[in-house]
This record gives sequence, structure tokens and C-alpha cells, in this order.
Amino acid sequence: MWYALLVLLYAPLAVVVVYSFNSVNSSADFVGVSLRWYRALFADDTILAAAWNSAVLALVSSMLATAIGTALGYGMYAHRARRLGWLIWLIYLPIIMPDIVYGIAQLSFFSRLAAATQIFDLGLGTMIIAHVSFQAPFVALLVYSRLVGLDPRLFDACSDLYANAWQRARFFILPTLQPAIVAGFFLALTLSIDDFVISYFTSGPESVTLPIFIWSAIKRGISPEINAIATLMIGTVLAAAAITLAFQYVRHRQSGE
Amino acid sequence: MTQPSSPTVSPDTADNTPRADTAIRLRGLYQAFGADAVALAGVDLDIPAGSFFTLLGPSGCGKTSLLRVIAGLDTPDAGTLHIGARDVTRVAAHKRNVNTVFQSYALFGHLDVAGNIGFGLRMHGHDRATINDRVQKTAAFIQIDNLLGRRIDQLSGGQRQRVALARALVNEPDVLLLDEPLSALDAGLRSRLQLELLRIQRRLGMTFVFVTHDQDEAMVMSDYVAVLNEGRIEQVGTPATLYERPANPFVARFMGHANLFAIRARDATGLTTDFGRLAGEFARADHVLIRPEIMTIHAADAPEVASAGDNVIHGRVRERLYRGSRMEYTVAAGETELVVVDDNRGQGMFEIGAGVALVMETTGVVTLDG
Ligand SMILES: Nc1ncnc2c1ncn2[C@@H]1O[C@H](COP(=O)(O)OP(=O)(O)O)[C@@H](O)[C@H]1O
Ligand SMILES: [Mg+2]
Repeated sequence: MWYALLVLLYAPLAVVVVYSFNSVNSSADFVGVSLRWYRALFADDTILAAAWNSAVLALVSSMLATAIGTALGYGMYAHRARRLGWLIWLIYLPIIMPDIVYGIAQLSFFSRLAAATQIFDLGLGTMIIAHVSFQAPFVALLVYSRLVGLDPRLFDACSDLYANAWQRARFFILPTLQPAIVAGFFLALTLSIDDFVISYFTSGPESVTLPIFIWSAIKRGISPEINAIATLMIGTVLAAAAITLAFQYVRHRQSGE
Repeated sequence: MTQPSSPTVSPDTADNTPRADTAIRLRGLYQAFGADAVALAGVDLDIPAGSFFTLLGPSGCGKTSLLRVIAGLDTPDAGTLHIGARDVTRVAAHKRNVNTVFQSYALFGHLDVAGNIGFGLRMHGHDRATINDRVQKTAAFIQIDNLLGRRIDQLSGGQRQRVALARALVNEPDVLLLDEPLSALDAGLRSRLQLELLRIQRRLGMTFVFVTHDQDEAMVMSDYVAVLNEGRIEQVGTPATLYERPANPFVARFMGHANLFAIRARDATGLTTDFGRLAGEFARADHVLIRPEIMTIHAADAPEVASAGDNVIHGRVRERLYRGSRMEYTVAAGETELVVVDDNRGQGMFEIGAGVALVMETTGVVTLDG
């Protein structure tokens, strides 16, 4: 039963990976192992530009989203018992909103802004803003749930042990949140690499990313090159997840003895 | 017949200059969390320097709130607080030379034991060598020097308690605040740590403000005890004063006294209460308290009873508990019941239903108001 589910989940991924190493241009016959599609990939300037755009978008948006989301998560925690506490529920809105609705909203927002100010032309800049706006809530929730799981007396203990507000942030809050912040960064990274819908609506002619490139290429039929790109993306996402886990494991061991 | 408590601990609202031997002076402290949650309802208290001072009271009476105000973690709605000669009512917690052992210990999970103990020194800006040296010395003093490299989640409850204590003591505060530090521990460990905590306080001569809801613990450990009830101080005094001369029925009941009776009538030769008459001269009061230890129990026809004079209560054994070193009887007399203890000298126990006589020393009888 569980194995059937696993097959269902992973078989399509396995097919993509296997056929990316196929030596002939066929999605039916697997003739021999070769790296020719990967070579083709790295010789194609359009693909390389798309990969570069994807990487810049993912890294910049994830870093911004981590910083903003951490501040947001702490703010939610600090205000949870106050009069404006209900506002924290707004954070869920971008998470539950269907991507297509969110993407269209962003598109119309940025179009109007561009018309009014002349500086928000659709492109990598608007994509980064759009990505940050859906990544930051996830980071904020990770940080927030770490904070509510803490004994509130720990904050008192800092003050009791002579820490001022800055020292408390530097020597207690940040180190305590570190696993959540790292996890949030890599989650934001995977979310960004994953995203097609919102990217599609907020991208400009110069800012084609890998998912957008694949989507337009696929209209001309699935090529083994697409399999190779997909395989590399699977690898990247797995690596991000592995780094997150490894980082937490090392941290765990370091503070051991 | 209530006695004023020791002059060093009785609040004197008129006197506004803190005495040199007063570590903490509280005047009119008031703290409310919303209209119907009054945590502190006007607390006046002088805590003598170098004493083991206990705040005793039932859960929710305001003990933690009082400690938090002293630590500076909460600002009182009204009232003043001096630590030594300094008015610290509006001074931030991190600028007060006071440290707390929290009820939950509140140890930092991202630091090891040494990092936890050295945290306060690090915030104070001491250099690494000084921090290491003082952490090492304090850890040795508390006997946890073998744990310095451990992570917090590798420690037992008793070890955490010691780390929390070391983390506070290493800063050599003017006052150490301890919020029910032993209540999470099992009975054996608890009584060992009680003695150890007392020994540490004696050796350092530091002022300890200790919170507990356990009257036995308060009695064993304290120089002075303040009994709190609903945000107010009911009585301050030595354990002996509180036990032998409780100021009111609340304190009497909280100290574990069972034989507390309303006085119905009083005249020159004695008073009348639920179990009958008690001869002697008594002050005007609402209640009379008879501690089990001031009574002896005899068979109704025993010779001691005949020669005992006036103050004999006749009754019947209703319940008996064998406690090893002593026997505890509940005796029905008049319209009520009294609890009396009898040392176990091998004399055997009275049967349930047996007629008995209780002979008492009236000098030990206490009358109280309220
Ligand atoms: N932060 C708070 N918000 C609302 N009520 C509180 C708060 N802190 C304490 N109280 C109330 O104040 C009273 C005293 O609490 P506390 O000082 O914790 O008592 P204790 O430590 O003696 O058990 C209780 O009735 C409690 O419910
Ligand atoms: Mg408490």
C-alpha cells in the first residue's frame, strides 16, 4: 500500500531523470547512457540566461524574504497578546491565496505602478518583489512557531542577566531562531525555484526564468533537454533540503560536547 | 494574645529612609492585570539584609508577581521599591543587581551549561578569562563542575535546578530571588536540596527571597516568612511566630492548624466554644487555636484526668492514624472534633469509639481575630 503510494509519487520523477541520460532523442526507447543533452544545455545561451535569471531571482528574493520574514515573525510574536494581535492572521492570506489569483493581482498592481511612476517595469525587479511577498509569510510562520514554542521566561531571564534589548537580540533571540531562519531561507529558495505562475505574470521580456523557458519550450514538444533541466532542478531542490538538514544536524552535534 | 512580629520585618509606613540592614523595602505595591485580576493589593514589606526570607501563600496569591516587581520584570501600578538605599521602582531589570532562579529554570537551550552560567558576566562585558574563572569557581561551589560542557537537554531536573542557581549566583547579586525552585523535584531530592540551599545562603550571607506554597518548606528554611493571601501580606515573622502565634485564622489554617474554633461567649473565668468550656483568662477575640502538641490524651478514667483541674475535654475517638513515631487521633467533643497527637512510647492505641479525655496547658492556647 505504502509502496504503491511511493511509486505513484516518485515514478514520474524517475522517468524524467532516466530519460535525461538517454543517448537518443526519444521518450519511448532508452538506448544508452549519455550526457549529450546536458552538453546541449550548457551550450544554449537562452537556457543559460534563464538559469542565471532563476538563480538571481531565487537567491536575492530568498535573502530578502528571510530578513523580512524573520522581522515579521518576531513582530507577530511580540504583538500576539495585544490589541492588533488579530492582524497576524493576514499573514496567511498570501499562503492560502491561489497562485493564479495572486499572480494576476501582482500583474495588475505592477502595471498600474509602472504607468504611474515609470520605474516599476515588469522584469527581474518586479519578480523579486512578487517572490518576496509570497516567501516572507512562510519564513515568518517558521520563525513565529519557533518563538511561541519557547518558554516566555527566557526573555525575562535575559533582562534578569543584564542583557539590554540589543544584547538580547544578539545573544539569545538570533541564536535561538537560527535553525528556523536557515530552514526558512532554504524553504524560500525552493518556493522560488518551484514557482511558475507568479513568475509568469510578473516577468518581463528580459527576465525569462527556467520554469518560464520550459513552459514555452514544451509547447514545441518535450525534448530530452527539458528532462535534463528538470533533473538539474530536482537536484538543486534536493540539495537545498539536504543542506538544511545537514546544517541542523551539525549544529546539534556542535553544541553537544 | 497575638504578638507583634520582629521589629526588623514589621513595615513602618511612616519611616521613609531605608535602614542600613534592610536589603529590600516595599511600600504600597499595587499591581493589577485588568480590573478583576489584582495580583498585588498594597504590599508593605522590609526584607532584612542577609536573611533567608520566604514568601509563602497559596497558588495565585501574588508571590510570582511580587518577585517580578523586585526583579524589575514588571513595573508596579503604584508603590515604591528600594533595593539597599536606592529607589529602583522605575529602573529597568537589566540595570538591577538582582538575579532570579525561575520556576521553570528558563535555561538557554542554545548554550551549554558553562555558556548559561557565564551569560550574565558576558552581558556585563567581562573578559573571557574572568568569565571562565568565575564560572569554574561557582560550578565547583555548586558541585556541577563536571557538567560544564553538557547541553541543557542532557540534564536531569535536579541538575537543571543547580545550573539555574549557579547562573544567578555567579553574578554575586545583592539579592537572589527564587521562585518555587524545588517544587518540580521529587520528595527525596527536594529535602536534600532544601538543606543545601540553606547551607549556600549561610555561607554566602546573601539575601535570599524564596517563594513556596509549602508551609513545611517555609518553616524548615526561613529566617522570616511573609504569608501572602490575595495580594496582601497577612503576617510577617519567624517560623516559630507564625506557627505558635498566627495573627489570624487564614495564617493558622495555612500553617496547618486544624483545631481552630469560633468563640461563642467569653467572661472573666473563661470562654465557651464548639467543644465546650475553656477556663482561664483570655483576651477579647473571635477564634481560639489549640495546637495538638499542647494536649495529652488519656483514658477517660485515668488518674491524670482527675488531677488535671478545669481544662479537660471529654470525648470519643472518631479516627486514628498510625504515623510510626506518633499516633494522631480525631476526637469528637461537644459539637465538633479536635485533632490530638500522642508520642508512640509503646503504650498501644486507643480504639475507635473509646471514651477519652484531653488535658491541655492553657498557656499554649492562642486567641485570634478575623
Ligand atoms: N500576566 C498576567 N495577566 C493576567 N493575570 C495575571 C498575570 N500574572 C498574574 N496574574 C494574576 O495575578 C494573580 C497572582 O498571580 P501570581 O503572582 O502568579 O501568583 P502565585 O505566584 O502566587 O501563584 C493571579 O490571580 C493571576 O491570575
Ligand atoms: Mg508563582
